[in-house]
This record gives sequence, C-alpha cells and structure tokens, in this order.
Amino acid sequence: MKADAISCLKNRWRWINFSVLLCATACLKIHADERQAPATTSSPKAISADHAERVKQGTDLFRNDVRKILVTHCLDCHGGKSVKADFDLSTHEALLGSGYVGDTADDSQLVQLISHVAEPHMPLKADKLPAEAIESIRRWINLGAQYDKPLVDGKVERSKAAMQVTNDDRRFWSFQKLKAVAVPNVDHVEWCRTPIDRFVLDKQETAGILPNSVADKRTLIRRATFDVLGLPATDAEVQQFTMDKDSSAWENVVDRLLQSPHYGERWARHWMDVARFAESHGYEQDYDRPHAYHYRDFLIKAFNSDLPFDQFVQWQLAGDEVAPNNPLAMMATGFLGAGAFPTQLTEAEFESARYDELDDIVTTTGVAFLGLSVGCARCHDHKFDPIPSLDYYRMAATFTSTIRSEIELDLDPEANLQRQQTWAVRLSELQTDLKAFEETQVPKQFAAWLPGYNTSDVISDWETLNVLEISATNGSTFESQGDGSWLAVGDTPNKDTLTITAASRGHIAKSLRLEVLTHDSLPQKGPGRAPNGNFAMGDIKVEAQPRGTTDAASDSVKLASAVATHQQNTDSLSVAASIDHDPVSGWAVDAGGIGKDQAAVFEFSKAVNTEQVPSAPGVRWTITLALQHPNPKHAIGRFRLSVGSKADLPASVGSTGTDPAISAALEQAKLTGNRSSVAWKCAEAWFATSLPEWQAKHNALSEHQAKGPQLQMAKVMVSSEGLPKMSHHADGRGFPHFYPQTYVLTRGDVHQKQAVATAGFLQVLTPDMTDVATWHVARPTEDSRTSFRRATLANWMTDADKGAGSLVARVIVNRVWQHHFGRGLVASPNDFGVSGDRPTHPELLDWLANDLIEHGWQLKRLHRLIMTSSVYLQSAEHDEGRADIDGENRLLWRWTPRRLEAEAVRDSMLAVSGKLDRTMYGPGTLDLNMTRRSVYFFIKRSQLIPMMMLFDWPEQLVSIGQRSTTTIAPQALMFMNSSQGRAYATAFAAQLPIDSTEAGVTEAFRLAFARLPSGQEMQLLSKFVEQQSELYGQQGSGNGRTAALVDLCQTLMSMNEFVYIE
Amino acid sequence: MAANMTHQNSITRRQLLSRTGCGFGMLGLAGLLQDEGLLESGLQTSAMADDNLAARALNPLAPQDSHFPAKAKRVIWVFVNGGPSHVDTWNYRPELTKWNGKSIREFDPEFKDTTGFFKNAVGNLMQSPFKFAPRGECGKMVPEIFPHLGEHVDRMAFILSGHTESNNHSPALFAMNTGLPRMGFPCVGSWVNYGLGSESRNLPGFVVMSDPKGRGLPKGSAANWSAGFLPGVYQGTWLKPTGEAIDNLVRPASVSAVAQRNELDLLKQLNNLHHEHYQAEGELAARIESFELAYRMQSSAPEALDIASEPKHIQDLYGINDDRCDHFAKQCLVARRMVERGVRFVQIYSGGMENQRSWDGHADIEGNHRQFAGETDRPVAGLLSDLADRGMLEDTLVIWCGEFGRLPIAQTGAKPGRDHNPHCFCAWMAGGGIKGGVDYGASDEIGYKAADNKVHINDLHATILHLLGMDHERLTYKYNGRRFRLTDVAGHVIQDILS
Repeated sequence: MKADAISCLKNRWRWINFSVLLCATACLKIHADERQAPATTSSPKAISADHAERVKQGTDLFRNDVRKILVTHCLDCHGGKSVKADFDLSTHEALLGSGYVGDTADDSQLVQLISHVAEPHMPLKADKLPAEAIESIRRWINLGAQYDKPLVDGKVERSKAAMQVTNDDRRFWSFQKLKAVAVPNVDHVEWCRTPIDRFVLDKQETAGILPNSVADKRTLIRRATFDVLGLPATDAEVQQFTMDKDSSAWENVVDRLLQSPHYGERWARHWMDVARFAESHGYEQDYDRPHAYHYRDFLIKAFNSDLPFDQFVQWQLAGDEVAPNNPLAMMATGFLGAGAFPTQLTEAEFESARYDELDDIVTTTGVAFLGLSVGCARCHDHKFDPIPSLDYYRMAATFTSTIRSEIELDLDPEANLQRQQTWAVRLSELQTDLKAFEETQVPKQFAAWLPGYNTSDVISDWETLNVLEISATNGSTFESQGDGSWLAVGDTPNKDTLTITAASRGHIAKSLRLEVLTHDSLPQKGPGRAPNGNFAMGDIKVEAQPRGTTDAASDSVKLASAVATHQQNTDSLSVAASIDHDPVSGWAVDAGGIGKDQAAVFEFSKAVNTEQVPSAPGVRWTITLALQHPNPKHAIGRFRLSVGSKADLPASVGSTGTDPAISAALEQAKLTGNRSSVAWKCAEAWFATSLPEWQAKHNALSEHQAKGPQLQMAKVMVSSEGLPKMSHHADGRGFPHFYPQTYVLTRGDVHQKQAVATAGFLQVLTPDMTDVATWHVARPTEDSRTSFRRATLANWMTDADKGAGSLVARVIVNRVWQHHFGRGLVASPNDFGVSGDRPTHPELLDWLANDLIEHGWQLKRLHRLIMTSSVYLQSAEHDEGRADIDGENRLLWRWTPRRLEAEAVRDSMLAVSGKLDRTMYGPGTLDLNMTRRSVYFFIKRSQLIPMMMLFDWPEQLVSIGQRSTTTIAPQALMFMNSSQGRAYATAFAAQLPIDSTEAGVTEAFRLAFARLPSGQEMQLLSKFVEQQSELYGQQGSGNGRTAALVDLCQTLMSMNEFVYIE
Repeated sequence: MAANMTHQNSITRRQLLSRTGCGFGMLGLAGLLQDEGLLESGLQTSAMADDNLAARALNPLAPQDSHFPAKAKRVIWVFVNGGPSHVDTWNYRPELTKWNGKSIREFDPEFKDTTGFFKNAVGNLMQSPFKFAPRGECGKMVPEIFPHLGEHVDRMAFILSGHTESNNHSPALFAMNTGLPRMGFPCVGSWVNYGLGSESRNLPGFVVMSDPKGRGLPKGSAANWSAGFLPGVYQGTWLKPTGEAIDNLVRPASVSAVAQRNELDLLKQLNNLHHEHYQAEGELAARIESFELAYRMQSSAPEALDIASEPKHIQDLYGINDDRCDHFAKQCLVARRMVERGVRFVQIYSGGMENQRSWDGHADIEGNHRQFAGETDRPVAGLLSDLADRGMLEDTLVIWCGEFGRLPIAQTGAKPGRDHNPHCFCAWMAGGGIKGGVDYGASDEIGYKAADNKVHINDLHATILHLLGMDHERLTYKYNGRRFRLTDVAGHVIQDILS
C-alpha cells in the first residue's frame, strides 16, 4: 500500500463499530429489510439456505448410485418400455408428478413399496432390493429426488428448461398495469382534505378507528421543514406561520419549502442511498473517483428543478444516448458506475470481475427503479419472483459495453457559446486584416524587392538537402515539417533502414550533417522513437551523383570521421560507431541527450565537386541510414540533412540556409518574372514572412488561434460506451474493462458459458404478445459510439402503458411516502416482489402512481398532495385503544415520531449554532470540521465519515431503501465528548445574551426549538446555569458563565426533542 | 426452547411492559434489566430460531441461547496476516527436502510460468530454511521459530489441508473473515455476536486490534470486521493502536467530571419532561438510558485496557518489555482482559499490510518468518498458559490462521521468498471443544495443494460456529429477499478435531 494510505488510517475508525459497546440498553428499532421477515409471512414454499448444496448432493447420489438401481430394477415397467400403474420415473418431473414420492422418504409411497411395508411389494415378482439400495433411494428422496438427466434418452425435462413466465405470474399485485382507482366514500368526510385522506380513513373506518386531529402549527412547520429540507424551522418562520390567518397559510409553507434549494440537497441524499453512491472504487486500494461528485450535483439540480421522474430514470440509465448534449443528462449516468470495484486484479480474475461489475449495475437498476431483486437471478431462476436467469442476463447484456469514463463536459453551454462567438468574431477580424495586407501590400513590396535578390545571399555554411524521396524497408512514413526536416509518423517499426534521395544546389560538398530533432509528438519529445526518446543509428552510407546527368553512376562517398553534439558513450553507442563495419553499433543519444536537438557531422574523405560538370545544377544524394539495433523501436523521430561546403565544420544544430525549395522558387521567379507561376506565389509567400508588419499581424492571429475560445469545461465521471476508459490499477495488467459479449452463465460461473445473451426486458413486466420493438431505439448510424441498448431499456422502464412504468411509478411513490411518514405504504421499499411486503393501502398507492403519471411524473406535486393531507397533519398523540387494534400504526391513525437521519442531526446542530455554510454543489470533503451540509461529505468507501456512520449511514456498497435507526451509547458519547459537538455548542452559546440567565435560556430555546421554555424547564435551566457558573468560577477557568452557557447549549442539542421529528 | 419461541415472538412491547410492571417510563431499561437477570421472562429470544430481529428490538445484543450446548463461549483469533507459509510453520514436509532445487513442473507439469502473482519469479522447489523437531507428547514437528508455542502442541488441533478462493490479499482476507471474497458481507465476529449476543454490559461484543508498529491495517481494512448487511451493532470495534483507542471516550478538557455529571442530570430531567408527552415511544426512553451507559463506559473501557494493573509475572508471561514482542504481548493481554469481561470475539492481526510489513514473505521468507514468529511466539504461548491457568481455556477457543498459505517453490530474488498459495494453508485451534495434539487433513508431499480431507473456509467457519453451539445452517439472516449464512451453501463441521 502507498504511504498516503497510512495517513488515511487514523480516520478509518468508524463510530458505528463502537455501537457494540452498548450492550445493556441499546434499543434497536429495526427498519431494515429483515423487518419483513418471517415468522408471520406466508411466503411461498421456503427455500432452505443449503438448497444448492442439497441439490448437488442429490444429483451426485443419483449419478453415482440411484440411476443404476432405477434403470436395473424399475425403469422397464415405469417409463422405459411401458408405464405401469401410472407411475413414470423416467424424468424428475414425471416422478414428482406421479404422487408416489413425497417431500421426504418417510412420506413416500414409493419407499413403502420397495421396503415391502405396503403392497404390492416392488419390484413386482422379484427380489426385494438390497438394503443399501433402499437406503440410497431414501436419502435421494430426502435430497429432493434430483436427476442429472432423464433416464430415457430423448425425454425432455420440462422443469429443467428455462422458467416460463406466465400471465398468472403477471397477475401479482405489483406486476399489474395501473388501473383507474375510484376514491372511496367515507363517513367522516369532514376530516378529509385530499383524496389521500379518503383512502386512509376508509381503512380506518373499516377497522373501527378514527385518526388524530391536526397537530399544532409549530409542530407542523417543524415537521415539514425537517421533512423537506432536513433542517430545523427558524423561530421567525414558526412565528410567521403561527400568526398567518390566511386559509392557504399551510399550502404557502409547503410551497415555500419545495422551492428552497435545500430541498434538492435533502432528497438527493435519499436517492444516493438507493444508488449506492460513493466517490471511491472501494476494496483494498480504494482509489478516489474525484469527478464522481457531478452525479450528486445532478441529483440536487434534478430534484430542485422537479425533473420529471421518468426522465430522471432515463437519464441515469442512458442520459448519454437520449440527451447527449445536456450536461445534466451526462452527469446522471454516474448512477451506473457508482458501485464498488476491485482495482487490484490478477488476469484470472478479470472476467469474473467484469461480471461482478455488471451484476452491480443490474442489481442496483432492478432494486432502485423496479424494487425487484433481479440480482437474485444471476446463478439460477429467481426463487420467488418470476424472473428467469435468462432475463437477468438479458438485462446484463444491455450494459455489456458500458464503462466508466472521465470526460470534459460543458456545464454552462450558454456562457461557452458566448465565449465561442466572441472568439470567432475576433478571429475573423484578424484573418481579414492579414489577408488584406497580403493582397495589397505584399505583392507590391515583393515585386520591388525581387530584382535585388542574389542567390548567394542565402547560402550559409550548411545547405539543407531538398529531400525527394524517403523509402523505408519497414514502412515508416515521414511528413515534411516545412523547415527541411522530416517527422516520422504512424507506427514505429522495431527495426528499419531508410534510403533518402535528396538534392543540393551547391557544387562543393565536404561533409554531410544529420540533425536529429525533437518534436512534441515523439516519446520524451525524441529525438528518437524508442519509449525513452532514444534512437540508435547503426550505419550511415552516402552516395553522390551530379544532378542532371542520367548516365553518371552514383559514387560511394567515403566517410572519414564523425563528430556529434552528444553521444551516449564513446564505444558502441558513439557516432564513430556509425561509420564502422558493424551495422548494429552506432550513434545514440541517451545519457543526457534526450529531449534536445542533436547533430552529427560526417566529414568526407574527398570533397564532392561538380564544378567540372557545368551542366549539373548540383548534386543528387542517396543516403542510407541503418536502424538495426536489437532494442526495439530505436528509430529516428525527426531528421534534417544538409551538406557543408567548408572543411572542419563543428557539429551544431541549425544555422541552415533557406529551405532549398524556397531558394529554388526565388531563383525561378527572378528568372522568369512570371507572376502567376507557382514559383512566384511560393517565393512571394516566403517573402511576406520576412516583413515585420506581416509578422505582427500573423503573430496576433496565431496567438488568438492558440488561445482558443477558452471554453470552461469540467471533468466529469460518466458511464457510457466507446469513450476512453477511466484508468485504474488493473490496467497495468491489461484489464480490458469490458468484453464484447455477455454470456448466459451457469451458476453465475464465467467458466460455464452458455449462449451469448442479447439485451432484453423482464418478461414479467412485458405483457404477453407485446411487440418489444415498441421500445427499440435503433443506432442512428452503424458506427455510432454507443449501442442504444440502454436507451431501449430506459424506454421500456418508463413506459407506463406497456412496459415497466406502472411498477416504476409505484416504487417511487412509495419511496416519497416513506420519507414523509417513516414507513412506506409498502414496508419493503426495495422489494416489491413476492417475498416483499404487501401494501397496506394498495388502492392509495395505485391512485398516487396514476396521479404521478397523469401529471407528468412531477414529484413536487406528489409532495404537495401528501403534505396537505389530513393524514400528514395529524398530531403524534398516542392512544391505547387504537394501538390495541393497530399497534404499528399501519393504518396511519397518528403521526409516528422518528429520529432524524445522520445528515439532519449534524446539519441541525450546525444550523442552530449559526455555523452552517449553505454553499451548494461541487466536490465534497473528508474534513470532519467542514461546516457545509453533510451531503457534501466526500464518500470514500474505506473511510466513511465516523459521525455519519454512528447514525446509521449506509456502507454505500449496495442499494439501501431504508436505513435502520439504532440508538446506541456511542451516539451519546458524540454529543458528550466530540470536539465537533463541543464546537457547535460553543458557537451556539456565543449567540446568547450573557447577562441574564432568563434571557439566555429563553434565547437558547428559541434558537434550538423555536419555542419558549416551560416554567419547569426555565427553573431547571436557571438552576443549572447558576450551578455550572459557580463550578467553573471555582475552577478559575475564565468566565464561569460563558462555560455554563456552552454546557447548556450542549445539553439542549443532546435532547430527544432536538433529534426527533414530532 | 423452540416451543417457547413462538410464544415469545408474539409478545408485544406493551405486553412486555405490563408484565414487568414498570410502565412506559421504564421501557428503555428493559434490556438492562434483562441483562442483570432481573427480567424473568419474555425477552430471552434466539436469533437462530428466527432471524426476525424485531423480537430483539429492545436490545439486539442481549445474550441468546445457542442451538445446542456450546463447548466454547468466546473466541480469540490470532490472525496471521499476509499469508504465513505452511511448509515453514505447522505443515512439516520432509519430502520437500528431497525435492529441493527441482522444478515444480517435475511434480506438476501443469504448473504455469507465473507464481500466480509474480511473473518471471518462478524459482525451484525450496525446502524450509528452519529446523524442525518433535515437541510435546504428540511429537508434532515444530520449527525452531516457535520455541514457546511448541510447549502447547498437545493443546492444539492442526488443520493442514486448508484451501481458499483467491490468491490476492484483500479478497482472501474477506473470504477468511466473511466466507466470500468480496466486500460487504458480515464477518465471523459479527455473525457470532448476532447469534449469541454479548455477555458484557459495558464493552463491545467484538473487538479488533491491528498492528501498532505503524505497518498499517490488513488489506481491505475495516471491511474485514464489517457487519455487512447485519445491523451496525454487530460490527467489530477497532481499538485504534495509537491515540485514544475509542473515539469520544474522553471528556473535553474543559469539562470536569462534575460538570459533565451535572449536564447529564439536567439532560435526563429535560428528556423525562419531554418523554411525558411521548410515552409510547420506546426509543426515546432507550436514548435517555444510552447517555447513562455512555457515562459508565468512560470508565469501564479504559479499565479493561489497563494492562499496567496486571502483576509483573503475568506481564512477563506474555513477553511485555521484551522489545521484540512487547507490542503483541500487550494486545494478547488486552485480549484476555476483554474476554474475561464478557467480550465474545477478539481478533488480533499480526502484521500490517503487504510484503515485509506482515507475514507476506515474498522476499526473504526466512527473515520474514523469523521476525513475525519472534513477535508472536511468546505472547500467544503466554496467552494460552494464562487462559489455562485461569481455567478459561476450556471454554475459550483460540485460533491461529491467516488468509492463505505460500508456495513450496522459491520466489526468486536476492534472498528467496515464497509467493501466495490459495491451494493450501494451515491453521491451528486450541481450547474450548478442541481435541489437542492432532493433525487433520494433509497436503501433497511438497505442500503445494491440499490433498486429503480438504478443509474449505466454509468448513472452518462451520466448525467455529459449531464449537460456539451454533448450527451454521440455521444461523441465517434475511436480506434483500434471501436468507444468508456465513457458510453460504456449503460447510461441514470438522468432527475429527472436536474433543
């Protein structure tokens, strides 16, 4: 592990661990999944926990033992040649259907017959089976009478075939399509404010109970503010509402709360639990995902803007496909990639790790949107719900090529459009300006200048060769860089030999210079193409031929000596080694020469002189460079060749003359005077570059172009297809991130692949005979980046008419209800399947789901409906008589008080202390002393925030529909002893008047609870302040009164009233 | 018990209260009263008969009856972290000497070019660098690095044929702790506390100690003592090796004991006034009581950790003040004090992270194992002696086990090491319910793979639960629509090592 991990360790301790310290009086109020468990649930035939093992044992026993007994003694008459007594044991299904075999051997007629306990004794008219054989059959029946395959070839075991999803299955309450629901009539209609109330009251009246009346106004506004914002209502807000006599005062409060930006923060956090959202990979390395927070920002914005829930679903599954230009839709795809992933993998684990990742996506998608444990069907058909394993793999196949990517996104397109436009306008101005200069001024000046041009002016020590052709034995290709140099592009061969044909115009050449130059495209900037930027030139050969002579043979030019600006060593990697007889040893430039331009000069034994050939306009060169070093890819990245007309020129880079092509053009332009010739244009363009005015205009344009429009982009972690993968630790070993096909796996085992799975839908939520093409979104083009499988799934998911939309609506309505009342209409928010709870008010649930869909899937309307109902406005008053009938308040005859969640506890302390920083959005932090809302804690899986964990924060590994609510002593220790708790109390106390105890206590209550203390409370608190002041005074620790007030504030924030919604 | 259960499950909170005659105000105390034995009936339930925790809502850590009489009441697990080499510890392989220097492909032609983790590091078969000698009446061959533990071999049952799922530290650690090589499942200690509850009023039921020498946490860190999907109360309590062992246990410096007591008295009065309006809310009362418990814990937890109060001969027995093993000796002594005070499950990790920081001897297996054996030999032997002297060993199960074994071939390097081996590891157990001086199972002759009576992690877990009186097939928890077990769908109790 890295050193930085060590520093993490000191915070790793989780407060929740501590919870075990409370052994005597902890009170655990179970809200989590096990609540629905069992004793009373009449779920389908229970599957024992060791089911899989028993099947395996039974099958082994059959294969090794029982099969032979049955075939030898029974089969002929019972399923083989004939079927006597209507008893066919040729297949598992026929056997079980015969009625001869019970659940256990003791109930089995078959066992009685073969044991000769019952008549007719079997096998008929034959010896009794050996005792061991009977015992084997008994054991086999006790293990479920498993078959590995039918006893008769060709018989098909129908029950072994894929699970059939029938219309009967689709009749289960949650799988049905929503139907119109009539609002019931009730006796006490005067109590009802909304249709919700009639549904609830109807059930109560049937049970013979009546609801509570309305709670007092202070209680209501505090309740609603905690519910909607996760913060306490301020005293001023309470006062205003209390005084407001307007008949719509309450509706106004609800509307105000739903408009608050803090609503999004509160409800985004609820969804983060469902989405198992965290900002690190988890597992042993637990690397951060620093750009994952955009998903949280998306959630907050989505809730605040009341994004229709169907769109909310679609964007999380396929925002990159359905709204690729909307940054929020891109951010939403963070949902798919939010799960944990082990980044340290060995090759053997790659494929199973990818299937685990797909499983995380499928499981979370199934639970979050459909409330179905689709993930249970990974290893076999779902045990309770009609979800065949095949359906699981069809959903998994939807995500086959979906991976995490980090991309630059334009989060503020309007501002960027402005930037782009401003830039383009300026660009156009600069271009026009330059063009005008080139069209009006340059031709005049050039025509005036050209007559005075003298060819020899531009001849320097080195004349750059005009390269005519480069051929490479291994296919390297080169691009001219406009300065006489050539850059290698494309793939780098391991070895290569270059043959360069080039021309010079001078008549005398005494040496050849090879410059090897750097370039940004080269490894380490070059000059070589090896990963470390090096090259190795084993050999250089030079041939010369007078130009213009076709008959003269090329003469080999002997190289006498070589010097270089830098060489790797003085031995086999020296420049001298390039002109020895070893084609491998030769010039290389590592050991200080990488990333810098280098040059080598090869002095000729005898000057190349074409003065004797007057017709020849210079020399044609053929230069061969052998790049044959055994270290791969030690090729040259960029080179320039020139010849020197003087002897003993030092090895240096640059100081070349004009590009030979330009010189030729100048010469020709001067010679012909043809202003429309290519040469003239070329020469004129070159001339322009020497003019200061042109340079100024050109530089202004280049700078503007280089600066670009400076669009503000943000790096965002998204989930998509065909984008660069988000790199991680396993890349080093070659982890492929995804495999092109998803297979149906037997028992979820990657070594037992069956057919390739194609993307599809859950059959149980797809009515029989539906044309699935309804939802299909075709790829817009064959080569479109993504497959549009997810867009297709999203279509089905949100289709309330034919697809899964009815269930999706029920599930979200239930989640919203649950967060308002502490318990959903379905008590198992993540399980709407057969083993989940049944709704307490099915008609109400469906009515609300219908209402949601009919009104554009808008959640704020749903909140408002709920919060303006009489059910919501009830007091918390308890009643023995009604509790006898409905102790758990399933019928909602009262408001059930409940504890605030972790975030709301901390945020309330911060709010009351005056320390709350209300800055929204952006990256989170692990700093425990931060004062922003708790939703902005960075969620690092190995370093979960201790104070949050103490109050039942989820582990952020799987979708959590409802947190448990534990009451444990370590929470008390946090209030009593934590530095944060004390700091909040100190800030709280600083807001209080210090001179009058009574005024201080009153103000403290006003801030903490938005109420006045009772007489009894005032008496207790006044006494306490006096007592503590005296105590601290005696200790001489500063002003005793200040410390006493801090104690007072700490105590108030520790009160039950502080952390319970009433 | 089972017959009783049905009845008890139907008890409602109000019935309970009327039975105890305390009224609503005392509701939060019900768990406490039960703990003190003052609550005659009605609350004692068993998680194992029914995984509906609602029946234990008042106190999820209330002691539970086991499925059948237990031989062991508590567990101390010395987690030999990093993967100790079995052939260099408890699985003496004399044949390996004959094979020394030969290629493992002569033994197993299937062997690939990688040790599993490292490529290009495949050395030849390598005999143990340690001398082995018979110890105890059973004559167990023990390497020279365990002089003190060698004294106790007649108390130990050795499992020599363990095998596991992953050759990667964190998945293997998760597998050893939770049965599955993935994050997010409850570990053995959590299952045990869920199944049996805690016997301590003021201390955690499950305590974990990690390396105090700055070598880090075992890979995967806190997920190794996570309660997974079980309620958080069953999670391991990690005693921080430096600084305050437990967060927020110490009062703020500015608050005196008297001042805090005054605060708590005031809080109680205010909460009681509030509670008069909400008498039906049981958790409000529980919360009132939780502050009292927290107050008590401030003194009880430090007391349990106070090893300085132990007499010198006991400190010496563990090796405290012996530089080499002082740190581990202290942890072993804390472990004894913890279980003595009712803590159900203690896990002590020997070593921290990978390579030279734990038993992960990739380089220099000899030096690595001499060092870590040296750090633990005397303390663990002292622990066994001390428990035995106090009569506690007969119902305390002590386990020595890591996450996997190591290959019998050398991992090449300056000093030869050994790479991970999931195919074979060894472990020993001693104390409650264990038959001493026996070997169980065997590897092949070179210690490459488990061969006879192979023991999977599920079997190990099944056996641990069995010793604690629990049937691993009946200890279940329903979560997301499925009943989960520590042993998933497998596991067999190793009957041959039971006394």
